[in-house]
Amino acid sequence: MKIDKSYIMSVTKNAKITLLFLFIGIFAFLLADFEISTTDTSELSKRFFYSIFDLKFNNYTILLEAFLSTVSIAILAIFCSSIIGFFLALVFHNLLVRITLAVTRAIHELFWALIFLQIFGLNTLTALLAIIIPYSAILGKVYAEILEEHDTFPSNLRGKNKLSYFLYTQIPDAFPHLISYTLYRFECALRSTAILGFVGITTLGYYLSSSFMQGVYNEVWLILICFYILVASIKYWFTKYSFPFLVIASFFYLDDFSGFNIDNLIRFITNDIVPHPIRNSLGFDSTIKWFDNIFFNEIIPGVFNTIVLTQVSLLLTAIIALIMFPLLSKKFVSKPTIFSSHIFLVILRSTPEYILAYIFLQIFGPSMLPAALALMLHNGSIIAHLMGNETKLIVLGPQRTQRNINLYFFEIIPRVYNQFLAFLFYRWEIIMRESAILGILGIATLGFFIDSAIADFRLDKMFLLLVVTALLNILVDYISRKVRSYLRVKENFTSCGCSLK
Amino acid sequence: MAFYLQNESISYDNNVILDSLNLEIKKGEKLALLGKSGSGKSTLIKRLFELKKDEVSFIPQELGLVNNLSVFHNVYISKLDTFSTFYNIRNLIKPAKKEIKTITDILKEFDLEDKLYVKNHDLSGGQKQRTAIARTMYNPQKILLADEPISALDEYLSSKVLKVLKENFETIVCALHNVELAIEHFDRVIGLKNGKVLLDKKCSELNHEDRQKLYYVCD
Repeated sequence: MKIDKSYIMSVTKNAKITLLFLFIGIFAFLLADFEISTTDTSELSKRFFYSIFDLKFNNYTILLEAFLSTVSIAILAIFCSSIIGFFLALVFHNLLVRITLAVTRAIHELFWALIFLQIFGLNTLTALLAIIIPYSAILGKVYAEILEEHDTFPSNLRGKNKLSYFLYTQIPDAFPHLISYTLYRFECALRSTAILGFVGITTLGYYLSSSFMQGVYNEVWLILICFYILVASIKYWFTKYSFPFLVIASFFYLDDFSGFNIDNLIRFITNDIVPHPIRNSLGFDSTIKWFDNIFFNEIIPGVFNTIVLTQVSLLLTAIIALIMFPLLSKKFVSKPTIFSSHIFLVILRSTPEYILAYIFLQIFGPSMLPAALALMLHNGSIIAHLMGNETKLIVLGPQRTQRNINLYFFEIIPRVYNQFLAFLFYRWEIIMRESAILGILGIATLGFFIDSAIADFRLDKMFLLLVVTALLNILVDYISRKVRSYLRVKENFTSCGCSLK
Repeated sequence: MAFYLQNESISYDNNVILDSLNLEIKKGEKLALLGKSGSGKSTLIKRLFELKKDEVSFIPQELGLVNNLSVFHNVYISKLDTFSTFYNIRNLIKPAKKEIKTITDILKEFDLEDKLYVKNHDLSGGQKQRTAIARTMYNPQKILLADEPISALDEYLSSKVLKVLKENFETIVCALHNVELAIEHFDRVIGLKNGKVLLDKKCSELNHEDRQKLYYVCD
């Protein structure tokens, strides 16, 4: 009998990778700080969760304005990003473009916001740029991948009129996918814009955090619930027909785009971010000392904590996804259960992990626990959702086992595990980016040091730390791609679910 | 002379596809290539296409149609280089009356006129093949190279299509696997087996043994 070796090999490969990351995860868990430092955890969380029954807001006009400005910024940002992204996609084959976009993508939109706050101050322009710049880079990359995937017209039939052939042979097939990805990105842009409030821009996050700090939890709940409704109803109000009107309306609603200051920009690039020993010509030795100091006191602990948090969160995400996905499948549970777990997962998915982390931070106090919980719930629910969809496609043989536990381990897991690992490693880079940014909440990851550098107005240090953050992200992205090609997972864009990228 | 191949060998990964082939195809000849899959038909046709790209209308086996475009647009593609970019864009958005008429007339020859605005992914295999054939008719060159263009068509449509193609192209090289159609519609047949020519004769000169050979190469 001939044994299909490729199957066995891929099983052992899956097992090897699983064991490796399990060990790294456990090791990171031992190193991580998971202390609960608040004393009245139960009292606080009780008060927080009970206030959901008493929704109210002290000033509904402000709430409405916050909603409108969040939506308008997100709309204008996605409008500009998709146009810029499309043109970037056309030149994506250029190595320099690819490198620039990789660096741009590796820096979280909140960090971009912090940078532009230094240059242009607290205004709409800063908010727009903070979203447009990383989103153009993301859309540019993904558009390029979509266009490439639909470039199926035989090259020997292609003529000389490149533009016409592009419009006739690539765009028609790619267009629906470009649109659906942009739509998904719009949802992300709404979340990103909302959390820009945490650095002071008057979007939803601003009122959410101020209500939270004042302990007015019913306002927090009201904002969150309205936000869920907003996100869940996107497909009804954000369509190809309403889009032009929404863009125009947003443009007029935001109205004031001033704040651009070329002098500040030049000062920022040529002066602020230049290491101060170089700026003040203090010589080579003090430059080395400056770097040494930052390297040992901030970069090493920052990178270390970021990696620890990322790996713990990756492991927790895997566990929670493996536990939750059967709750979305008819093969395991009844329809009402599926319905309620769907709602539960949608809520977890549409809450930005930053907000989840912020809430947990208030409840448990500062440690890695809130961040790890937030990353676990948000990413775990996304992967569980995608796995649920995968499980739906499986057709079981006539002699299927009646026991759920056997069904899970012998029928379902062997079939979806490879895909599961693919999903997980797609999210790895995103978890890393979020781990860095959650430092702003007080966990000593890279974001913490970046935030403190800004607070001390040491922008040279901020810039160095941002470069380190970007490099770390690019490294993880690179390893993730290596792992995926080692596991030989299908890299099919349209089937793997847009929410991965 | 349309094509002249001398001692032509092509191999991929140590697999010989075409084995020292000698072939002369005269202008005006209608030639059918017979042989089962893997005999080297497609490789030979692709090679011929490379030799005379600019004088050839080519129907590849995979057809090369754009899934999300209608029959009209898929046919229109063959003239993208003829028209200006502006006119192409205009036709992509809203087809011009003149082009609609020309293309509808072509589609009528293949009983496909009612599918003018049906998108490729909603067509059957046979309808797709006819679309690809109509595309070459919209901008016909002197020579037609076709790789199993009628494999999904019934006998009635196959004959109809081959008749139309014969009227519109001076020289035809067409891969087939139906011996009767080949003998009925073409001047000359070539039987290929494992990259070698097993038989090469005018259809009018075929005897009983030759026919047996042709059935053998197609089996």
